[in-house]
Amino acid sequence: MAETTGHLPDRSALQPATRNSTGAFVILVLALAPQIVELLTSCAGLIFNFTGRGPLQVLEAHGSALVLAVPGLAMQSFGGGGKSALSSDTLLALIYTYPLLAVALFTLLVRLRAPQDYFGGVVLMALALFALWASSDLQGMHGFSFGAGTAPRMFGLLLLALGAAVAVTGIVADGPQLATYHWRGPLFVSLAIVAFAISIRPLGLVVSGLASFLIAALGTNETRWVETLIVGICLTVGCALLFPYVLGLPMPLFPRFLVQ
Amino acid sequence: MADLFHNLILGFGVAVSPINLLLCLIGALVGTLVGVLPGIGTIATVAMLLPITFGLPPVGALIMLAGIYYGAQYGGSTTSILVNIPGEATSVVTTLDGFQMAKQGRAGPALAIAAIGSFIAGCAATVLIAVLGAPLTKLALAFGPAEYFSLMVLGLIFAVVLAKGSVLKAIAMIVLGLLLSMVGSDIETGASRMAFNIPELADGLGFATVAMGVFGFAEIIRNLDTGAEMDRELVQQKITGLMPTRKDLVESAPAIFRGTVLGSILGILPGGGAVIASFAAYTLEKKIARDPSRFGRGAIAGVAAPESANNAAAQTSFIPLLTLGIPPNAVMALMVGAMTIHGIVPGPQVMQKQPDLVWGMIASMWIGNLMLIIINLPMVGIWVRLLRVPYRLMFPSIVVFCAIGIYSINNAPVDVVLAGAFGLVGYWLIKHEFEPAPLLLGMVLGPLMEENLRRALLISRGDWSVFVTRPLSAALMAVAAGLLVLAVLPALRRKRDEVFVESEG
Repeated sequence: MAETTGHLPDRSALQPATRNSTGAFVILVLALAPQIVELLTSCAGLIFNFTGRGPLQVLEAHGSALVLAVPGLAMQSFGGGGKSALSSDTLLALIYTYPLLAVALFTLLVRLRAPQDYFGGVVLMALALFALWASSDLQGMHGFSFGAGTAPRMFGLLLLALGAAVAVTGIVADGPQLATYHWRGPLFVSLAIVAFAISIRPLGLVVSGLASFLIAALGTNETRWVETLIVGICLTVGCALLFPYVLGLPMPLFPRFLVQ
Repeated sequence: MADLFHNLILGFGVAVSPINLLLCLIGALVGTLVGVLPGIGTIATVAMLLPITFGLPPVGALIMLAGIYYGAQYGGSTTSILVNIPGEATSVVTTLDGFQMAKQGRAGPALAIAAIGSFIAGCAATVLIAVLGAPLTKLALAFGPAEYFSLMVLGLIFAVVLAKGSVLKAIAMIVLGLLLSMVGSDIETGASRMAFNIPELADGLGFATVAMGVFGFAEIIRNLDTGAEMDRELVQQKITGLMPTRKDLVESAPAIFRGTVLGSILGILPGGGAVIASFAAYTLEKKIARDPSRFGRGAIAGVAAPESANNAAAQTSFIPLLTLGIPPNAVMALMVGAMTIHGIVPGPQVMQKQPDLVWGMIASMWIGNLMLIIINLPMVGIWVRLLRVPYRLMFPSIVVFCAIGIYSINNAPVDVVLAGAFGLVGYWLIKHEFEPAPLLLGMVLGPLMEENLRRALLISRGDWSVFVTRPLSAALMAVAAGLLVLAVLPALRRKRDEVFVESEG
């Protein structure tokens, strides 16, 4: 279950310079990821008619937050601790984006001796910062009793420190290169899972089960389609009998429009 | 003593009812089946099969889940011996000598000794649970929030010390798990934490969902990387002569005994569990053997000891769950999930309020082990044939089955997507050599830890020294600190690495 992954000696290890700038770029994208994700979902919102901020509003809010976060903070401290709280977008820029941008810059400057540890640690730091931002609106210590936000902040800070420590070991000690990633397996397995999730309600177990079986089978180039199809059909029939009938779990079997 | 017998009789009375016998059999068989299939571990198996038990009465559901659990341990050893692929992490060390024995044409005795060892260990562990159950429940009454918190810290430290690879990374994984467990509504104030107004997250991340992601889907994706067709050195010659010789029995008897003792102890400790028990038992055997060079070349003690140890640990890990309500490992956490679904809150009360449930399950473990030994030895041929099913057909089936399993827990499509996302997270973790097991343990213990920490500090009026001034809590903390120091000391580190290197050889 938990054997180690093999480390293929990476070709890019010979050119640490390019590797570092790529790595810094990835961290840069990571630093802006929440903003990008919100922008994308708001664009999707236009198409599917969600309520919420439109893409232009999102762009404007985050843009001004990113640019004005530091002046805003300075103003507030000059204002003698006026109670006008910083907006959530500004906090995101201050707590999450700026520190990660600093890390991205730092990445350009150092020689990484164990990129696997370094980037692992950096991503943990990003997660910790994100959690700190996400719990920043929660109530903190209330006298000696814990508020809702105390424990998340405590563990967030702890994870930040640990992530930084892991990243530092990647700079000071020799270690493994980044393992190579493959795209085919992860892509098609994820697609199969998403396809199942989307189609189970409207299309029922028979269609969505078979469809996600076939999509998952695309995950390797060793698939032989005739046998895959046969096994897929058998499995779908088996599941269609097992789950709703033998086990009595409520589950739609056939597409909704056919049943009606 | 009379109490003990009374309890056991009550338990057997529950366990031998036809329906429970049948469920025990099905559980053990299904567990073995999935245990035999490499590429899907115990945790994913239990998570996947959790929905199957929803429609059953509580006792039956627990009996079946327990059966799946130890059946999987058993099935894992079969593949270790026959094809040199550990079906489960717990049987990794069994490959070392087991496969060598199979190569020498002694697969039969190896399988038989593994089964006999497991059975003897199972018997001992069953008695141990019965003996320790009542006194530990009494001890649980002396536990305040501070003690509970310290005990959980100790458990997490254990998990770190025993995990393989970097101590720092293991601690980071635990804290990440704790942080993930905070998602959802706060227990005391009801405030929504880190849920981003997504209604599906309001109840927190489902433990089964995350477990399925990082252990089920991630494992599949990882296996696809290396090419779906794993080289399987199948032992081709027919398995003849199942019975071990007299010499085999004499050699393995003390090993079984030592493995059982070691496994039982490690199983009780939170954070220990079956995996480490098998490693430790193998190392111990090698240390005290008169001729250590025989190990790795088909020594029967090298099969007997770890197999007994992992089975003993698998069963004794029910003790902290049933007496203190603390799940010592990820599988037990899934059992908590199953119990909660049936309206049972694990903890000291269960033993007193629902004795038929607890003792029925304990008795069924003994019966299940007996079934495994009787049924499985003749069925070895079938299991071997199963291994010839190519991975290119198996992995899409596992994907679909897992997806259906997660969906049916809450009838929520979002859970399926979340599990997929955690699959990618798990893949990333594997690529960066982070162990997912401590993460899960952190996630399991997170809510319990937070609750007890808050309560302890509330009672002490914000005084943090309460954890070191209460004697029981101080003792637990001291052990935890000592362990952590030992783990980072260079001498022990080297030894610990040796154990794991050996296991991968």
